[in-house]
Amino acid sequence: MFKSTQALFGGLLWKTPWRLSSPQKARQRKRLRSVDRVVDTLGAALERNGQTSKAITRWYAEMPREEEMLPKDKYTLFDKKEKSYRKSIHKLPKWTRVSQRVNPPGF
Amino acid sequence: MAFFRITLLRSAIGLPRRSTDVLKALGLKKRMATVFHAVSPSVAGQIMKVKELVQVEECQYRLTKQEVHLERKPDPGYYLEKSSSEQRGDTSL
Repeated sequence: MFKSTQALFGGLLWKTPWRLSSPQKARQRKRLRSVDRVVDTLGAALERNGQTSKAITRWYAEMPREEEMLPKDKYTLFDKKEKSYRKSIHKLPKWTRVSQRVNPPGF
Repeated sequence: MAFFRITLLRSAIGLPRRSTDVLKALGLKKRMATVFHAVSPSVAGQIMKVKELVQVEECQYRLTKQEVHLERKPDPGYYLEKSSSEQRGDTSL
């Protein structure tokens, strides 16, 4: 029996859900915290040696920690083409392996 | 002297060439591989490039590849009461 579905009529149909599920969000928070932990380990080890690194001082100056971030910034990112100027973070290519923490101010 | 114990947890497949090259420079060739590097700003900078892919700990000693492997060895499920050489010693006495 033929059933008219979007996939059969339209051909190409992307079935990426537009929002994240709560376990996906939980894993996202876990990843954010693991990056925080790596940076903290590096910073603490260098400080004990009396050294500093430009990459780490810059990260501390510019990047919020997981607990300081707003849910909006944890799970969505700026996109000028969206009506609300925000799209879900899982639309970002390789989103589980890149750091995307700050967005343009005001958006 | 302190060392960074770096373990590659996520692969760099599909990421920019730069990340793969940094991992190669650190000596991380496959997932779950562990390497040790002395604490220095240059190594810290390298780790910062791949911070999403690795797990880092600070430790006082550099372990060999074999010692790292033995950490993961499961409990055999038995313990040795007496070895055969000991037993032979007993009977000969």
